[in-house]
Amino acid sequence: MKSIKTAIILWTLIAGLGAAPLPCAQEHVLARENATAKASAIQIEMMQAGEVSLPAEFRVALYENLIQEMQKGSGFPEVYRDGDRNAAGAPDLVILHTTVTGFKQGSELKRDVTTVGGATSITVLCQFTDREGRVLLERSIDGKVRLIGDNLKATDDFAKKTAKLASECFTPDRSDSESPSAILR
Amino acid sequence: MTRDRATVLPLLFFLGTVVSLGQTQPAPIETEAVQVTGLSGVKQNTKGSLKVENGSLSFVYSKGNCDLPAASIQDVVTGRDSQRVIGGTVGTLSRLAPYGGGTAMSLLRTKLDTITIQYQDSNGGLHGAIFTLPVGHAEAIKEQLLAQGARTSIPSKPEPTTDPSAQSEAKEQLR
Repeated sequence: MKSIKTAIILWTLIAGLGAAPLPCAQEHVLARENATAKASAIQIEMMQAGEVSLPAEFRVALYENLIQEMQKGSGFPEVYRDGDRNAAGAPDLVILHTTVTGFKQGSELKRDVTTVGGATSITVLCQFTDREGRVLLERSIDGKVRLIGDNLKATDDFAKKTAKLASECFTPDRSDSESPSAILR
Repeated sequence: MTRDRATVLPLLFFLGTVVSLGQTQPAPIETEAVQVTGLSGVKQNTKGSLKVENGSLSFVYSKGNCDLPAASIQDVVTGRDSQRVIGGTVGTLSRLAPYGGGTAMSLLRTKLDTITIQYQDSNGGLHGAIFTLPVGHAEAIKEQLLAQGARTSIPSKPEPTTDPSAQSEAKEQLR
């Protein structure tokens, strides 16, 4: 009887530990999942390659696709490019800094022939900050192309995910309200 | 006699100047290109022709043209890639061909050059554009852009020197 009790306790403990999220497995999110910040505009900074060797075409495709997706689906009334002087006058500006942390260049030919190998994947650390540089939201997002399409399609996947995240975490602000940092913190 | 000489000499000098100017400025190259992404107002994967002329990079396509001043180009990088001979929707459908026909078609690929540029618009905003070109054309376009004021983060490879003294100096520096 005692052994059954012990077994049940042990099993419950193991199950509980398994269900609990490990700190290292958690995505690095500083903003609360349910919180949304108001922001009137976003500025996309050019991708930093970090310590990863990234071909120029991937860097440019990531940046351009990100801008296109933000214009289409993020809900920001204004999307500014890196260095755009008009961004200086935008109230509640959110700045997106991106650093490539992982890159594996696959092969379209391999994907076509094997259908299981040759995937291209990119992992990018996205930091949404305010004008003063305070981090509002930080998350690692990946882009992949596994089956159909050329390697640059991975950048499209990444851009769509990032625009979706932005639309979930920031709401367009068309009035003079609190700054984004004040709401998220 | 002296009058003839006085007429011929300036004429020769003028012609010599014209010839030397002609030699320093290479003839503009026009090549077929596909704009993969980046040019404002141009759809992705638009076919057209690319040339460097009068200090700007010009992309001409069926619905218009797009000119970028070479001086606004901050970075020009060339690369190599390959693509399926049969692309687009037909290419995707061809994967379903029976008896491994789709896989065999995937093996039919053409090599191509890529040219990636980064440029600034009038507001200072940074843009990027990617073009694919037939093999061997990207480096020529890059050279012409650099000659007309564009910049690059990856300079072209220097031509191998034939001067033996220079070669020995280089060897000395390597040691």
